[in-house]
Amino acid sequence: MNSASPVAVAMGRNMQIRPATSAANLADPTKILPQQRLNRPVAPHLTIYRPQVTWVLSSLNRITGFALSGSLYLFASAYLVAPLFGWHLESASLAAAFGALPLIAKVLIKSTVALPFTFHSLNGIRHLMWDLGRGLTNQQVIKTGWTVVGLSVVSALAIAFM
Amino acid sequence: MASLARQTPLFRRSCLSASRSPMQVMAFHASAKKQILPPLPQVIHGTTNDAVEVPKTHATEGSYHWTFERIISAGLVPLTLAPFAAGSLNPTMDAILCSALILHSHIGFQAMVIDYFPQRRVPKTRAGLMWLLRGFTLATAVGLYEFETNDVGITEALKRIWKA
Repeated sequence: MNSASPVAVAMGRNMQIRPATSAANLADPTKILPQQRLNRPVAPHLTIYRPQVTWVLSSLNRITGFALSGSLYLFASAYLVAPLFGWHLESASLAAAFGALPLIAKVLIKSTVALPFTFHSLNGIRHLMWDLGRGLTNQQVIKTGWTVVGLSVVSALAIAFM
Repeated sequence: MASLARQTPLFRRSCLSASRSPMQVMAFHASAKKQILPPLPQVIHGTTNDAVEVPKTHATEGSYHWTFERIISAGLVPLTLAPFAAGSLNPTMDAILCSALILHSHIGFQAMVIDYFPQRRVPKTRAGLMWLLRGFTLATAVGLYEFETNDVGITEALKRIWKA
């Protein structure tokens, strides 16, 4: 209820005046907040987090998966269109080309291919273990993470020298 | 002329920066502004009293999709180990391995598109990438079929290259 006295009402002094000081000339006042929101800073990205074996391996799992599957997709698609461009992607040609490389190049290429493969495979088993609800505490995730790192490096080297 | 210059925002900004030089005005937020993902237009859909939309159930999505994904992943474990144990794979097993790899890869790529190209931010890019992925998966499937039927198969080919 308006608590203005009868005298004030009679004298016409019950009117409140609120001067509009903010953006009186703006076409659409409902746009003020959206405009301010557009100027907000974007939340910092991965760089603010301390590198930890948990999330770094998670990222590497996706990166290695992308690299392995990407290689498979590129090779298979290239093999499909090879006759059109006269490329030689038959196993005999590839084996001959690879065999002609110096030993150091062979070992380097084999290691580069083997490490993402062993890591993604072993980390995949870790993921399947999590899917069964096992090894989900932070300590266990750290321990199995480093185990996977060690095993994938060792097995990749073993495969590279096969 | 003077009135015209006063109207120009650029002129006004240059005046401001000139007067600012003795005491640098810092932004309130100290972190650098990186427009990796600039905010979308701020719009409000519906009202606060609208019920949360329940997504439609689908036979190939949600928990069914998750289970299917895990079955393929788990199946890849023996399929990956077998060539190391046996030296190579017979054509049937090789074909099964290729099929599992294609499905696993397709699901993986799908997850990447879903994660990095959100529907509400880049709907057209997302749809385009999904179709590109389908095309590539089909090309890969046909390419691997050709490789399996006209060549020696993936495991045997890898073995021959490895031993070359």
